[in-house]
Amino acid sequence: MPPILKRTLLTLGAIFALILLVLWLSGGLLALERWVIDAQRAIQNELAAGVRAIKQGQPGALAALLAVCFSYGVLHAAGPGHGKVLIGGYGMGRRVAFWSLASISLFASLAQSLVAVALVYAGVALLGWTRDAAQNVAQDVMAPIGTLAIAAVGLWLAARGLRKVWVQSTTPAPQAANHDHSYDHHDHDHHHDENCGCGHSHGPSLAEIERATSWKDRAALIVGVALRPCSGALFLLILTWQLDIALAGIAGAFAMGLGTAMITVSVAAMAVWAREGALANLPFDRVAQILPWVEVLAGCLITVIALTLLTQTL
Amino acid sequence: MKPLILAATLLCWSQTAQAHPHVFIDTGLEVIFDAQHRATGIRITWSYDDLTSLQIITDKGFDPDFDGNLTAEETTQLNGFDMHWDAGYPGDTYASMAGQPLPLSAPSDWTVGYKDAKILSTHYRSFATPIEITQPLLIQVYDPTLYVAYYLKLGTTLTNAADCTARILLPDLDAARAELDAAIAALPQDAESAYPELGADFAEAMEVTCPPY
Repeated sequence: MPPILKRTLLTLGAIFALILLVLWLSGGLLALERWVIDAQRAIQNELAAGVRAIKQGQPGALAALLAVCFSYGVLHAAGPGHGKVLIGGYGMGRRVAFWSLASISLFASLAQSLVAVALVYAGVALLGWTRDAAQNVAQDVMAPIGTLAIAAVGLWLAARGLRKVWVQSTTPAPQAANHDHSYDHHDHDHHHDENCGCGHSHGPSLAEIERATSWKDRAALIVGVALRPCSGALFLLILTWQLDIALAGIAGAFAMGLGTAMITVSVAAMAVWAREGALANLPFDRVAQILPWVEVLAGCLITVIALTLLTQTL
Repeated sequence: MKPLILAATLLCWSQTAQAHPHVFIDTGLEVIFDAQHRATGIRITWSYDDLTSLQIITDKGFDPDFDGNLTAEETTQLNGFDMHWDAGYPGDTYASMAGQPLPLSAPSDWTVGYKDAKILSTHYRSFATPIEITQPLLIQVYDPTLYVAYYLKLGTTLTNAADCTARILLPDLDAARAELDAAIAALPQDAESAYPELGADFAEAMEVTCPPY
């Protein structure tokens, strides 16, 4: 792709993200929010109808239920949620490749389903909890732990950004060489350190993108998302367990997870697109200096949101 | 400054997520008057959404053949399932006149039915003393925490009040949202305070007016 076209496309991403943000700030998405609540009601009724159809032995009932569950997942994620804040914030702040962030989103959503299944079958089926008890455990125990994991990701991001700012301020800024912007997002075998002093003229941030996101980041992101099972999945799992159609419920929970992943993967794409668009418009030799600050900012933001959520749940 | 605004907005959104309604109840209100044209009480009808109805029926182990009908015995057992309120629970129905709250009695005289996959229950609540409607009487239906969403879809009726009229007031959602945003913006000064309970701002309401108003 010619660099100019690439740059234009990337810039569009940044503008698009900015428009969404402005709409959001000005309450322009309020109509969407109302629509989500109405749709939630409609889909909840369909969920009940789907469960009844399976119990009545109607043909195609399972496929219909899974389709409803998938839509439920999409809808639920399209509303406000912690997963998007986390994935979006991380994607903006850290120069992570799209595929890497997308796979984290997918795994996180499926892990969220798995956690819901585990909670219901350990708690409700084995220990005899009521539906309210299971929901309370999800809300009062697991959600705060998940929130702490989110805060940890934020702090970790901010700390790393600050460290880079510190490193940069103590070492002379590298000169930008004849560098092409069209780096690709595959995992290369680069193992040099960001301040390796090995004669490369890479800015630290560009070398960094080639280093796969560490497993700690991945784990924290996935835990942060997964430990907040959605009540729709819990309701479905408990109901189907009571009605002896447990497998249909478990399949449904994972269909919800796939639906949620649709949205979080889109958010990941949006975050990467917007970030690269913003960076493409910066003079190349400034990127290395600005990027750590973006990371610090995104990290602080995630932490603040997580901690505020926490004070409200405790 | 910008990150702060962003944080506040994101926060506000995640908050609404928590307040997302999970139970949807179509509501009907009947205000009953006495011979002196004073309002004596309200009969409240609640129709639960399909999923909530199915959960309740399943919890009780009723309707095992899934034909959508309860036996007479099951209906008797179900009756009153939503009427044993914790002390201090206001019952999600709020009456007021000229801004003055009018206390309502505990529920009585309740009924229940299960039809078209929905549970429909009714109950009666009386005013402490019969109310002469000298100003518009306002009856709001809402859950302060917004976990349950009430909609006045089952009608508002007046019984024994020949001259009075009733109408439904829908919330000004934009204004309600502005209130919510303002309340959230005020939070950081007292981070310990709970999420503002502003269900009333989002509530649908019935307004009863009698001549000469």
